[in-house]
Amino acid sequence: MEFNAIQIILVGVWAFIVAIDQFDLLESLYQPIVTGAVVGAILGDLPTGLVVGGTYQLMTIGNMPVGGAQPPNAVIGGIMATVFAISSGLDTTAAVGLAVPFALIGQYMVTLLFTVMSPIMSVADNMAEKGDTKGIVRLNYLAMGALGLLFAIVCIAGLIGGSALGNTLDKLSQDFAWIMNGLGAAGGMMRFVGFAILLRIMLSNDLWGIYFVGFALATIIGFIPELSGSALILIAFVGVAIALNDFQTRVAIKQNAGSANGGDEDGI
Amino acid sequence: MASNKTQYNNLTPAKPLDKKTLNKMVWRSLNLQASFNYERMQAAGWLYGILPGLEKIHADDKEDLETSMQHNLEFFNTHPFLVTFVMGIVLSLEQQKADINTIRAVRVAAMGPLGGIGDAIFWFTLVPITAGITSNMAINGSLAGPILFLLIFNVVQFGVRFWLMNWSYKLGSKAIELLTANAKEFTRAASMLGVFIVGALTSNYGGTTIALEIPNGESPIVIQSILDGVLPKLIPLTITLGLFFLIKKKGWKPVACIGLLLVVGLLGALVGIF
Repeated sequence: MEFNAIQIILVGVWAFIVAIDQFDLLESLYQPIVTGAVVGAILGDLPTGLVVGGTYQLMTIGNMPVGGAQPPNAVIGGIMATVFAISSGLDTTAAVGLAVPFALIGQYMVTLLFTVMSPIMSVADNMAEKGDTKGIVRLNYLAMGALGLLFAIVCIAGLIGGSALGNTLDKLSQDFAWIMNGLGAAGGMMRFVGFAILLRIMLSNDLWGIYFVGFALATIIGFIPELSGSALILIAFVGVAIALNDFQTRVAIKQNAGSANGGDEDGI
Repeated sequence: MASNKTQYNNLTPAKPLDKKTLNKMVWRSLNLQASFNYERMQAAGWLYGILPGLEKIHADDKEDLETSMQHNLEFFNTHPFLVTFVMGIVLSLEQQKADINTIRAVRVAAMGPLGGIGDAIFWFTLVPITAGITSNMAINGSLAGPILFLLIFNVVQFGVRFWLMNWSYKLGSKAIELLTANAKEFTRAASMLGVFIVGALTSNYGGTTIALEIPNGESPIVIQSILDGVLPKLIPLTITLGLFFLIKKKGWKPVACIGLLLVVGLLGALVGIF
């Protein structure tokens, strides 16, 4: 089944919107159940879109972007699975399979953008230094637009190239796997730059012990799989107790300091 | 990079933020992750979100606005649906012109624990239940499936966002009155909590491991498990402290650190370290 130019453009527009939506906007339009229906309607086969979207949605429950981890991209997966189900009359599982190479490319785009945006934070720093509020706003919108554009290109290429393009992409992504692997590893380390900048100001010399206590507690709790969700809450309880105790002690010392002169008669 | 100022020039508390400005920031909070990146994660999206409030609070001192913008561009990561809780608290501190170290520490301490709570509410409960029911409606050919899904999810999402913003802004404004009497002590305690949380994040967010193996017949020597035997999360700790040293003692810029990590990551992937 061939798609006309208007349909291809509309799917591209939808890909642009939901690419942004996976991190921003309503953070729910991108879910396969919605995307399947919309893409199905655009391509003139709403019933298939609903079935593919619903089935793929059930497959992705339990595969949510939890804790910053990136699953194989469900946004492009949802769009392309619907496209292939309609164009080739495949059932959902087969259509989702054909969508995998495109979802993988989408994931690479996300990795690439998150990497490129890291050094751009220094541009943001310069804007902040000058009080350039409009610049900060513009920078955020540009980053959103870039993500949308990248995803729209992948989906439009998929609509035109079909599943044959998937094979090419598959080979391409295998050839460049080490680069993405390297970017992923570098990306995983970049947050330590963020931590180091926070510590540069906050970590006075007398607080080193506290830093290591936090690290030790998180490491211990990290080894208990059942606590993976609540780890940081539990850690915060301990941290608040330590800080509160320090606060109360210091306030008490300050208040007693004034009356210390009268203590001679105690004979101490 | 953040300036080293610890206090605003104008220490007179600003006028409390009106409801309209708070609500405007709730809408902006939707795009918290617009400029998400590996280094500071949601930092620039966070600043974008609270800018309308900061502009009002620091309207009479451009330099204070610049200072505030700079320290609000530091590493930030929290649950996107619960971010308005952190916004309310931080904005109440900004409005009272609290010590900058206090604001920074409270921000760091508040953002961490929300991740687990938000995941539990939204990704492990709300989405599986609503999507589970509505997906079956869609599979049976009903257009009501996706519509109902969007409706339920977003009613909950916006309810949580608006309520948290207003509630935590009031909470912060009330708490600050108690704390200004002992501001110095509070700043110290908040800094302690902030450093404690960053220590915890170093381990909790630190996933860097190495895949290097030394061939040794049937039982190759796995370097990572030897390192884990010495100290789990040794690599995240070492990298963080190394970068801290480079930035604080050697005066490296963040961009230089990122460049270094890119080279390490790509070379490491090429020779099979990662």
